[in-house]
Amino acid sequence: MRNFLITILFIFVQTGFAFVEIDSEAPNFELTDTYGNKVSLESFKGKKVVLEWTNHGCPFVAKHYKTKNMQSTQELAKSQEVVWLSIISSAPGTQGYVTQEEANELTITREASPAHVLLDPTGKAGMLYSAKTTPHMYVINEKGLLKYQGAIDDAGGRGFMFKDLLEAKNYVKNAIRELNQGKRITDPVTKPYGCSVKYAG
Amino acid sequence: MISTEAFSSSIVDASDSRIEILTESNSMQPGDELLVGFKFTLSSGWHTYWENPGDAGEGASIKWNLPSDVSASKILWPGPERIPVEPLMTFGYENEVVLLTKIYTSETTAIPVTLNARVSWYTCKEICIPQEAEVSIPINLGNKTSSASKGLLEQTLKQVPVKFNGTYRVQKLDGSYVLQGELEEHDQHDSIYFFPKDYGLTNYTENQLYEKNKDTFSLQIMASEVEIEKESFKGVIAVKKNEEVTFIEIDYPLASKNISQEFNILTLIVFAFLGGLILNIMPCVFPILSIKILRFVEKSGDSTYKTLQQGLLFSVGVIVSFLTIAALLITLKSGGESIGWGYQLQSPVVVSLLFYLFVVLGFIFMSNVVLGSSLARLSSISLNKSDSIESFLTGVLAVIVASPCTAPFMGSAIGFALLQPSFYSILIFLGLGIGFSLPYLILSAKPSLLNFLPKPGQWMETFKQFMAFPMWASALWLLWVLSNQVNNQEIIQVLVGALMITSGLWLIEKNNSERNWIRWLVRLPFLLLLIFSLWLIPTSYSDLDEPKQDQLAYTPKLLEDLRKENALVFLNFTADWCITCKVNEAVALKTSKVRKLIVDKNITYLEADWTRKDPIISSALEQYGRTGLPLYLLFPSKGDPLILPEILTEDILLSYLTEVQ
Repeated sequence: MRNFLITILFIFVQTGFAFVEIDSEAPNFELTDTYGNKVSLESFKGKKVVLEWTNHGCPFVAKHYKTKNMQSTQELAKSQEVVWLSIISSAPGTQGYVTQEEANELTITREASPAHVLLDPTGKAGMLYSAKTTPHMYVINEKGLLKYQGAIDDAGGRGFMFKDLLEAKNYVKNAIRELNQGKRITDPVTKPYGCSVKYAG
Repeated sequence: MISTEAFSSSIVDASDSRIEILTESNSMQPGDELLVGFKFTLSSGWHTYWENPGDAGEGASIKWNLPSDVSASKILWPGPERIPVEPLMTFGYENEVVLLTKIYTSETTAIPVTLNARVSWYTCKEICIPQEAEVSIPINLGNKTSSASKGLLEQTLKQVPVKFNGTYRVQKLDGSYVLQGELEEHDQHDSIYFFPKDYGLTNYTENQLYEKNKDTFSLQIMASEVEIEKESFKGVIAVKKNEEVTFIEIDYPLASKNISQEFNILTLIVFAFLGGLILNIMPCVFPILSIKILRFVEKSGDSTYKTLQQGLLFSVGVIVSFLTIAALLITLKSGGESIGWGYQLQSPVVVSLLFYLFVVLGFIFMSNVVLGSSLARLSSISLNKSDSIESFLTGVLAVIVASPCTAPFMGSAIGFALLQPSFYSILIFLGLGIGFSLPYLILSAKPSLLNFLPKPGQWMETFKQFMAFPMWASALWLLWVLSNQVNNQEIIQVLVGALMITSGLWLIEKNNSERNWIRWLVRLPFLLLLIFSLWLIPTSYSDLDEPKQDQLAYTPKLLEDLRKENALVFLNFTADWCITCKVNEAVALKTSKVRKLIVDKNITYLEADWTRKDPIISSALEQYGRTGLPLYLLFPSKGDPLILPEILTEDILLSYLTEVQ
């Protein structure tokens, strides 16, 4: 019965991407984190939230972690009391799919500091945000409104592997700073770049 | 770099892909141009990307290592294929691709030369592998001779997009773009697909609707789910005929959405400066001017230097105050933006509110309504501070205390500043501050000029009343802006709103009863009028009123009768599913100029709706040798009808309609 329901759900989510608009309400989701807790976006109302779609096997993600670019962005978020949610939407059997233990191991070895790592093997949350790449970043304000979506920085484009990420313009850091200063986000939408999210095909 | 040649070769094998550098000739002379290709051979099922990779991935990048007098062109990308990665879409190449580059040498280039490049690319299937290789090829001195690869390179060159030979246009209609054009050998095309150059223009996954008309094609492409404003509609179309694909470049300028950024910032600053100057002759400020200057002179004794210093400090005080107002305004504005208010003339709400503001300002100038508390006399300000600080603070206070009088002016400055970027707002207020303080500065430098100033009197009141007219002129202009956004009925609503506010203000003006409770009682209807007038403001765009056009449904009998009467007839064959028809209707047929001309020239407009493939209409189409849409016929009073082009523009249509007799 449970499998049947999941299948139905799959068909439902496959009917197409929802898409999210800047300044509109960020859709709610509930996922299980790597410690088995249910975590919903709603429960963070009153705090800023960053969503990071990730896949450790993706070379783009790997470079962001190897150069500590992702970790330093996470640290900035943490110091500003911004909730960081790393979301893995890889379907079972695809690249980047991990068990709870594997995900925790990755967090430790990479010295990452997300508030939660959420597992989304059905791709439900990914589809809801029309997350296309890893990494694909979203910033949500205290009122639950989407304020930024797109790439982590401007290093995307051809020749990414040659670039020094610490010199790139980090859109997520900028968005967090600008939100804190009550300013308007300079670049609210950018082109996300990276590997495709490995949804169940 | 010395070891480069020893280690790199012309072919490098990587996992699931191999790269090879090819040249059209193995030899060349100094000054020659050489076509070079990077051939990627991928394992079956693997792909690499185009310059716009689509939803994921990244195109290859080439870093040349060449002598200083040799240069390389950008990559010439062959047209891509669609490679779906459910539920995403990517653009790239499967199995094999050659990326071309042109190498330019000069007369001084030393040949033999080694062409050396570092290439990075992605080979992807379900997963992506980043790859990097260094390839090089030696070129000998000698005349260019065809190498074994020349054929492949030239064949690839044919896959590189070429300029569009002919005319085309792009229109945006309800969430999608329609690309229409005329191609050579039109009847041989089977299908067309558009690949966008950039992210944020069109949707990658949705199907594109291709429509082939008699001489032209239309392609409807959904706009991107996340849209980024672009200056042009840029990309490549893949035109397929008999399994052969050619690629054509598309680059069509898109109309900017902004209609309001017409102000020249310099003009605004000059007006702000003049506004500041005018502030000085407002009834409650002018009398103070001479008193204040005399006080400076008095306090400085005989020292002109000291008087000037006082004047300067006063000016600084004034300017600082104005800049503070600007800063407050910017904070307010960004606060507003963060909760989603758009301070733009594109919003009917903002335009209507500004219209009310200017009507009210004009009324205030004309009447005796006083805003805020009664004016404290500037000259009575005395502080037990040092002279310098006092002058500065007097400047600050001059702005604050004179505000009941200056508020109407400030109102208009604020109104316009809100529409501008923050930096411009600062400049506007700076201009206002300089204008306001300049007379003080000049007079404190040369107090003897005071004798030339006119005496305060009734003329100031007259001047104040006169200032109502520029305010109302601004209101009129805003109404014109609004008339492009909402329909007549809503314009009337806003005018009624203005009537209510002004009658409310009149009530307030006449409300000088001694008794408190009466005064409060009269304020109540004012408040109600105000609320009602705000309620009348239109909140969104509405369909604009156009001259009504009689639209008759086509029947052969009706057409025949009209022809007998020698009437001018325009016959439009259309259908709901015809993209070209819909675009023509939106950009040409239904525009107000065309409608007006049709009414003025007494042309009968007939519509033959073929949405349900009515056989009567089919036979009419056949009569004109057509099996499809669109078809536009213009019947002169006598003789055969004119057949109009399939792609109509307002100009083409107007010239046909004007000339028909």
